Amino acid sequence: MAYALLPMVSFVLGMLVLPLVVPSMTWQRIMTLSCIFALLALSFDFLAHFVGIVCLGGAFFTGVGGYISGLLNSAFGLPMIITIPVATIAGGAICTLFLIPCLPIRGIYFAIVSLMYPILFHRVIQALNIFGGTDGLPGLATFPNIWVELYFIIPMTLILTFGLRRLVNEDFGIVLRAIKDNDQAVRASNINISWYKTKAVFIASTIGCFAGACLAHLYGWVGLSLFALDFSIFPIAATVVGGGGTLVGPILGALILAPLSEMLRAFGPLRVVFYSLILAGLVIFKTEGFVPFLERKYHQFERWTEI
Amino acid sequence: MKKSALIDLIGIKMLFILLILLFACVLSPALSFSQPIVLGVPISRGYPDGVDAERGITLAVEEINAAGGVNVGGAKRPFKVEISDTRDLEAGVPVAEALLATERLIIEQKANFIVGGPIRSEAALAAMDVVSKHKTVSILSAGVLSPAYSKRVEENYDKYKYCFRTTGSVVPMIGGTLKTFESIKAKKGFDKAYIMVQDVAHARAAGNLLKEGLEKQGWKVLALEIYPTGTTDFSVGLSKAKDSKAQILIPWFDMPEVSILMKQWFDMKIPALPIGYIHALQDEGTWKATDGKVAYAVVLYAKAGSVATKAIPMSEGFVPNHKKKFGVEPRSEWTSTSYTVVYILKDAIERAKSLNPDTIIPALEKTDMMGTYGRVKFDPKNHQIIENGDPKETAVGMWAQWIDGKRTIVFPDKIATKSLEMPPWMK
Amino acid sequence: MNIFIFGLVNSVILALMASGFALVYGVSRLANFAHGALYILVGFATWLFLNRVGVNYIGSIILSIIAVSVLGGVIYRFLLIRVKGMPASEIIASLAIGIAIMELFRWRGFISEAYMLPPFVNGSVSIAGVMIDWQRLIIIGVGLAIMLLLWLFTHHTKVGLSLRAIAQDKHASMMSGIEPDRTAVISLAMGSALSGIAAVVILPLGNITVETGYMVLTNAIAVCIIGGLGSWAGVFAGAFLLGFAEILTAAFIGPQWQMVVVLLFIILTLILKPSGLLGKQKELEERV
Repeated sequence: MAYALLPMVSFVLGMLVLPLVVPSMTWQRIMTLSCIFALLALSFDFLAHFVGIVCLGGAFFTGVGGYISGLLNSAFGLPMIITIPVATIAGGAICTLFLIPCLPIRGIYFAIVSLMYPILFHRVIQALNIFGGTDGLPGLATFPNIWVELYFIIPMTLILTFGLRRLVNEDFGIVLRAIKDNDQAVRASNINISWYKTKAVFIASTIGCFAGACLAHLYGWVGLSLFALDFSIFPIAATVVGGGGTLVGPILGALILAPLSEMLRAFGPLRVVFYSLILAGLVIFKTEGFVPFLERKYHQFERWTEI
Repeated sequence: MKKSALIDLIGIKMLFILLILLFACVLSPALSFSQPIVLGVPISRGYPDGVDAERGITLAVEEINAAGGVNVGGAKRPFKVEISDTRDLEAGVPVAEALLATERLIIEQKANFIVGGPIRSEAALAAMDVVSKHKTVSILSAGVLSPAYSKRVEENYDKYKYCFRTTGSVVPMIGGTLKTFESIKAKKGFDKAYIMVQDVAHARAAGNLLKEGLEKQGWKVLALEIYPTGTTDFSVGLSKAKDSKAQILIPWFDMPEVSILMKQWFDMKIPALPIGYIHALQDEGTWKATDGKVAYAVVLYAKAGSVATKAIPMSEGFVPNHKKKFGVEPRSEWTSTSYTVVYILKDAIERAKSLNPDTIIPALEKTDMMGTYGRVKFDPKNHQIIENGDPKETAVGMWAQWIDGKRTIVFPDKIATKSLEMPPWMK
Repeated sequence: MNIFIFGLVNSVILALMASGFALVYGVSRLANFAHGALYILVGFATWLFLNRVGVNYIGSIILSIIAVSVLGGVIYRFLLIRVKGMPASEIIASLAIGIAIMELFRWRGFISEAYMLPPFVNGSVSIAGVMIDWQRLIIIGVGLAIMLLLWLFTHHTKVGLSLRAIAQDKHASMMSGIEPDRTAVISLAMGSALSGIAAVVILPLGNITVETGYMVLTNAIAVCIIGGLGSWAGVFAGAFLLGFAEILTAAFIGPQWQMVVVLLFIILTLILKPSGLLGKQKELEERV
């Protein structure tokens, strides 16, 4: 029993305890940021490996979620308790609406459309100069305390991760995986795949919008850079590094890559060079990802078990 | 089989190395507080503006430290510069990076003051909350021309009193620009203008203000065109300018692609004098790089100082010292402002006799000294530098025209070294 | 008239930028996201040869193009080949390598506005009342010449034909003795060389910045999507459609809407006809 539970327990405990052992507030901040990226990576992995949709629109989710939350806060003065949930659900709905027309197409084409959406929104907001335009909307409400921040986001990340892991083994999840493998067969079983795909996209986009809304209130600011390309690309990198298809892999990947990027900051412009080389190296030479690698190693060692 | 085992081994080793790196960085001792005054500089080190700010600040710090340091109530302490690369000028990077960097400078590297950036308005506006939360005085010396910055200080003084800005703001910049255009109208009798701006908030605001102001002066503004950042072809706009017989062309760009605009202007021989905020042309090497096609372009520098002039004594020492240390003359206005900002801080610290923000802030508000761009005084209500008068009284910007391969100051008249020249095809 | 000429120039520029990317994707199904990096690599290499080493202009160009072709082939042979067949990994790996190259230049200080290549011929000429500089005319010429040469190459030389064969049907070509790996290396080398040629004719128009690399990559992808991946005529069609759309938007609606129009085009294309205008990519399998 313990053998099976140990990895999961150590992971959960590790995440909950880590903020207490890091030496300074910046590292705690980095931890929160890593969790936000981890959520984006989670939604990417869910769609990519369990539904077969490669969605490169992570930035789309953060942008929409962040802007809704920020606008509600700055225009109507609503407190964070209200803006974050509203932004999550409303944002999820809006993103899904925009992605619905693209659902019938598959593969690399959907990926590119979803990549284009955040850029489109960015340019439209810029051209119309609404929602603060290029200056953005600073001065929003922030989390009252770094601890509230941490112990709101980290448990949410854990809940969502393990929730999704549970979901993919339920009936709903099995249908999704079947769609990924062979959608014509599912269709032949008289199941409406578009409706299932829509629901899956909704789940993924709510997770992403939640991440965006939290980000807006982390520093109390929304701006055009919520649609930054970084938010679309990082989840993919985190998934590839951590191991796609496991849902825990992307979380681990994000927790490795985000602090890594920060640690390399001291190198100045050389930082991105190192970071991308390390990333390329991990992708090329360790293609299975960390989590499957660790899983394999864990199961490799012989042990005595009581019967 | 053997090969994969080897790779696995390397993989585990890599993991361990990564973990060790993580611990090493996490456990590295924080910088000790005792002697130096730490200047946190969050800028985009991989961009010309960031490089300029870095150069200006490091040059000033070197000079000050060489002369003994800063007198803090009797004890002489050196400045120490901690530069953090925010990458905030890059397109795909979220502002959260810049904020993290700024916060890290304050918390981990124990910065006493934040100078320089962040350079992008969006990042700087968001950073206001970060520095105010940590009660750290911040003086901007690069970028951030958005009017929103000083407005925020004015509207919420108690919260944002830690924020100062020496770079300028669109409104006074345009005010000064309009005076220059008025003088051109009087001297040359021009009255038709064609405005081309970049699609960013400060440039669009500038464009609108210019249009309004010029029309009040009696100019006919033939068009106000907005170009997205990254445009590589301006032929359509230039042809329209030529056809509508514009006499001056007013570009307002801080993107490097404006050099394409200038090259096209030269090749198409458009009979309109280019005069505006053409950031890319501030570099000393632009003439050689474009084979002289930037000739006759009149470039606005938000603050003077990059070209030496007798009317501003400090610039006469600054320019050659910069050339000696870095091998090139100062490039953009931000080198000059970043150089002076360190001296402003030194002056304020020495008058306040402490590093406590509660004494520094009033000391800064009372600043009255000469810098590389004229006289430095802040408006106590919004902590914005006062500009646009006589260089002996206020800070000034400058207009430098490319004449015979050199940047030559042509406006304002009080610091000009030569008068405006027209391209041969306009005579 | 103005619009026609500058639209033409813009379209050819886009076609040139996209040709390298399209070649690599068409032949080896590898989306080479290091495309932009190789483009500016040629630019900076030429500048370095010209200004630091002192080689003459033509020599610098030739040296840089050879260097980048070799680099492209090497990148494939030793790095990308290991992630062959896994699209997500391919994209990340090539993108990461591309970013590493571009940021390397940023670190070494190639960031000011003063990095420019001189145009081949100075001066301009008036065509039908429109002043146009020689360099742009050269671009049109080179662009059309490249298209022609590529067509000839892929239809009449052994190597070219093997490239087409692999693109059409990998397994059948393998049975005929064409090695897919070797062909992929050649296609990547050629793709890099194409982006190099594009770079040396287009860069003299403006300056060489690291951002240009990202911009080139985005443009190449946009053109290939609209025109259709896997089809030469598609690249041309896509480039022309996009090129004229940009210029027309700038002229009649306003330059700030240019990007929005381009993006709308891409999104509409992907929704309505995902294989692009003239693409031959297994259309039936795409729609569900």
